[in-house]
Amino acid sequence: MGNKQTIFTDEQLDAYQDCTFFTRKEILRLHGRYHELAPHLVPMDYTNEPDCKLPLALIVDMPELKENPFRNRIVESFSEDGMGNLSFNEFVDMFSVLSETAPRELKAIYAFKIYDFNVDNYLCKEDLEKTLNRLTKEELTPEEVDLVCEKTIDEADLDGDNKLSYSDFENMISRAPDFLSTFHIRI
Amino acid sequence: MTSYNNGGVFNPAYHDSETLEVDKRSSRKPHHSNPYANEDLALWGERADLRNDAEHGSHRGGWQEESRRVEESIPMGFITTNSTSASWQHNVYQSSLQIDGDSHYDPSPAARPISSMSGNMTMRWRGIAMRRMSMFPNSDPAFTEEEAEDEEQNLVKELVALSTREQVRQIRGLPMSFERKKHIRRQVMAFKSSKHSQHFTGFTDCSKNISLSFRRCGYGIKSARQTLELWHGIMKEIGGKFGSSVLTYFMFLKWLLMFNIFSFLVNFGFITIPLLVHDLSPNIPSNVSFRGLELLTGAGYFNYTVMYYGGYSNETLRGLVDYNMQLAYFFTIAIYMVLCGIVLIFSMANSFKKNYALADSASNSAWQLLCSWDFSITNDKTVRQRKSNLRVQLKESLSEKSLKKRLTLSEKLQQYGIHLGCWVLSTSLAVGCGASIFYLCQYEQEAMDSGPWSLLNEAETLLVPFVVSLMNMVIPLFFSLLNKFELYSNQRRQIYALLLRNVLLRMVILGVLCYYWMNVVPGRFLCWEPMVGQALYRLVIIDFLFLMLGSFFGEFLSNVIGTQLLPRFGVPEFDVARNVLDLIYAQTLAWIGIYFSPLLPAIQILKFFILFYLKKVSLTQNCQPPRRSSRAAQMQTIFIFLLFFPFFVGALSMVAYTAWSLTPSEQCGPFHGLNNTFSVVEIWIAGLEGSSDWVVWIYENIIRSELFYFLLTLIIIVIIYVFWQLIQGRKELIGLLRQQIINEGKDKSFLLDKLQYLQKSYSEIPAGPIKQKGPSSRRSDGHSSGSQSNSNAMVQVLLARQQLEEEEQRRSLGGVSVPSDISASSAMTQALLARQRAERQNEDFYQMPEEHPSSLNALDQAMAARQRALDDERDEYWSTTDFNERNSSASAVTQAMQARLRAEEDRGDDPADLPSPTSSVMIQVMQARQRAEEEERMQWAPDPLQNPAPSGSSALIQAMLARQQAQNEYDDGY
Repeated sequence: MGNKQTIFTDEQLDAYQDCTFFTRKEILRLHGRYHELAPHLVPMDYTNEPDCKLPLALIVDMPELKENPFRNRIVESFSEDGMGNLSFNEFVDMFSVLSETAPRELKAIYAFKIYDFNVDNYLCKEDLEKTLNRLTKEELTPEEVDLVCEKTIDEADLDGDNKLSYSDFENMISRAPDFLSTFHIRI
Repeated sequence: MTSYNNGGVFNPAYHDSETLEVDKRSSRKPHHSNPYANEDLALWGERADLRNDAEHGSHRGGWQEESRRVEESIPMGFITTNSTSASWQHNVYQSSLQIDGDSHYDPSPAARPISSMSGNMTMRWRGIAMRRMSMFPNSDPAFTEEEAEDEEQNLVKELVALSTREQVRQIRGLPMSFERKKHIRRQVMAFKSSKHSQHFTGFTDCSKNISLSFRRCGYGIKSARQTLELWHGIMKEIGGKFGSSVLTYFMFLKWLLMFNIFSFLVNFGFITIPLLVHDLSPNIPSNVSFRGLELLTGAGYFNYTVMYYGGYSNETLRGLVDYNMQLAYFFTIAIYMVLCGIVLIFSMANSFKKNYALADSASNSAWQLLCSWDFSITNDKTVRQRKSNLRVQLKESLSEKSLKKRLTLSEKLQQYGIHLGCWVLSTSLAVGCGASIFYLCQYEQEAMDSGPWSLLNEAETLLVPFVVSLMNMVIPLFFSLLNKFELYSNQRRQIYALLLRNVLLRMVILGVLCYYWMNVVPGRFLCWEPMVGQALYRLVIIDFLFLMLGSFFGEFLSNVIGTQLLPRFGVPEFDVARNVLDLIYAQTLAWIGIYFSPLLPAIQILKFFILFYLKKVSLTQNCQPPRRSSRAAQMQTIFIFLLFFPFFVGALSMVAYTAWSLTPSEQCGPFHGLNNTFSVVEIWIAGLEGSSDWVVWIYENIIRSELFYFLLTLIIIVIIYVFWQLIQGRKELIGLLRQQIINEGKDKSFLLDKLQYLQKSYSEIPAGPIKQKGPSSRRSDGHSSGSQSNSNAMVQVLLARQQLEEEEQRRSLGGVSVPSDISASSAMTQALLARQRAERQNEDFYQMPEEHPSSLNALDQAMAARQRALDDERDEYWSTTDFNERNSSASAVTQAMQARLRAEEDRGDDPADLPSPTSSVMIQVMQARQRAEEEERMQWAPDPLQNPAPSGSSALIQAMLARQQAQNEYDDGY
């Protein structure tokens, strides 16, 4: 409406509002944040959908992600090329999933991806070990890591294949109500 | 060793062992010194990639197709048709993917991970996929781009059928990238408009525009609401620094603030404004002036303003319209209370549904590992602290598990004794507090009655609220101290016990006060409602002062003590439970007071507003993030429940009792002269008779009829009973489904077991010859036997898997059995072997002379065995087949491979000739593998032979074994 400078057309904003959990204002704020990351790279005018991607290193440096132990995985999970380069659309996608209003299923899908380090569609022991090491500064002894991972698999594995498939994970998430509030980054 | 291997075989048979192998290899890559092998790997990777592409269509459409595929692999519980085959198939697919992923290190990981679970947009989508799956169990290889597009079209069609609102919701929930969502959205819109335009263009255009503008308007409102949202930045900061459990307090505070703002607006708008409009100047006696102390006591000057019940009149205000003050007062308060109740019930039920119904405390370490990390934390210090806390907690839970022992009877009794003692002590404390407050009130009354009203007298009224607030602050501290002596088996029970005691204390205090106000005060004053209002006002104000003091003493002082004087205590944590209870108590005061002092919410708003900033500053200055990551969502539910159940219901019943049963004061207020407040409605209804009879009828036959309530209660009880039964049924269903999932898992492992057993019967025969050959190999030490058993296990695994794959393939062909062209493969093998031998001889040239015989010997054996195996195989296929022969062929192959393996192991120890054997083996591995897979795909040639299984299997086994061998060589080499 009355913006001094048109960053997006109304149609674009409608599309954003229909496809993400953000309002027009938040989209503009997100654009501001994205622009802030690399002012000389990101254009102010997005009406003709410029092809511009920011590398992982820049995005991970945002204060919202900087201290997150899974920052690289988060960004990688949302980037099309898997290397962590994010276009603005992917950037919006990322924060949309991490926003407060995103439904549990959607969050669970992406959380699973984030924890799935080796991208084999299963959370196997190796993934859990990596997760655990990131969460505990790698200060547990290997035996403890082993025990915790085994216990985790033991608790969450329903079909007895010794690794967590997505349905195992989703089942666990559905019984952990805190997940909705913890898998949430305020922008 | 063997047992270990068997154990390992058990499950990995289902996982793909390939993956594990590949991973191992890739992890060693950095040490790899052979450039050729690397090159080969890459080459292989490329090929695999190409093959992959050819198989699955181009990668542009691959996204969705993959998604469906994986979605199909998700076990769906009781839809048992082909569920095993689905997962097996998935494995095949996955293994091929894994290879290209490994060699390329990620050709298109973005597409893959999204796809991995994308199908789960909704359960419905999964259901569709499962149905399709069971109808065409082998649709996988034939999954083409068209099918993916088909899928997309279906999605679009389903979306079109929904309402716009639902559409937007569904599109938002799709686990796809924004680009794809946009694409689908555009399609949906285009589809819709084309469908409409066939009918009547002008009208639909118009309606489309209208709906668009409505939607935009809705988004605009949402945006505006977000702009108005209070404290967004502060909330973010607190969440970033202290995590979501502390944030719960602030959210709760904000929520209560909203309640009060609403209540203030309602009261001010419907009660105060009409009065002020009618008569602006309050009729204050000339001898009363504002002195300042009123701000604390609420008496004196305030007594004559609209602050209290007494300031309102019972007149019908005559202006542009007649405004009946009595009715307005009554209905505003009543409707506000009802609205509050509804909001509370809804948010409580919602919170219960979300946070409690499914919550499960059993999966603790899974929760800690995968759900407890707070993504909103952005502060580096907090992150560090969280990490070490989590570490400590995990360690604790591990040690708890190992040290858990049963208590003896006497210990148990002792514990129960302590609990009982603590409960008795805390309950008697609460009761004692209540009694002392009652006597204090009476004493105060007598003191006030004795002398004339003076400033000192007025200050004395502050005594009761002061004592009450002091009790509210000190006794909970005592309770927490008491809590430390009790040993609770789990932390949550400890928190609940503490919470319960605090609630009990506050309920006793409020109950005593209410009793006093209801039963004693009305008899003593001519105008008693404002007196109660004043008492409440004082309580609210003093409580606020004590809250400030509490955060000073509770947080600031203990911070000072913890950092400066006694570092042992450490920096205090923010006690969410205690603080939230304080808030609940404060809100209860406001609810009780709403009848006696309609503008009390204004004070409450101010109080909460200041408290927010105060707590924020106190928190950031004095506190550290909580050490335990408690389950914040459940606590929040409990808080809302507490707010509703004893406190709101208590306040409501007190107000209702006042309105129904107590006689309003004779001298002042809107209801003076009436028997009770409710008779306002009776008078009003009586006045309506004649003009609007239906209202009267409703009043007579519904509101005032016992029969109606009786019937209503009956109906509600019946409904509750039905729902109760439904819940029981659902519970049973859930139990059954859980059992079914477990059974599925058991089935799977049983089938695997069986397969293994079958395969064992193949591979047990070769075990003999191998052992006979053992001594001929120069180095038949522990290591080689280990590798033997290893490879044995591998054979089993691979055979099991392979057989299943083949069975599936056969099924997909509609029962046509599949032979392979063995001649080609055997030729290839021979060629390879010849090459290998040549290389080997080359190498041997440089080796120690005494090694020659043995290694050559081994090689010869290998060659011979191999030849035999191939001959056997060929015989088998061109002649009749029977079980024995098949066994021998399998055994021959195994033998051959193992002999070869050993031969190569022999030489592998010599570092001088490392690179070339490695490379040769690598080449072999790759080629063998590729061959195996080519064979598999070429198996479509129709040939009605009886026993096709071993052909493919032999090729695959060769491939796998070759690979295994390469692995072993690496192991030895480095």
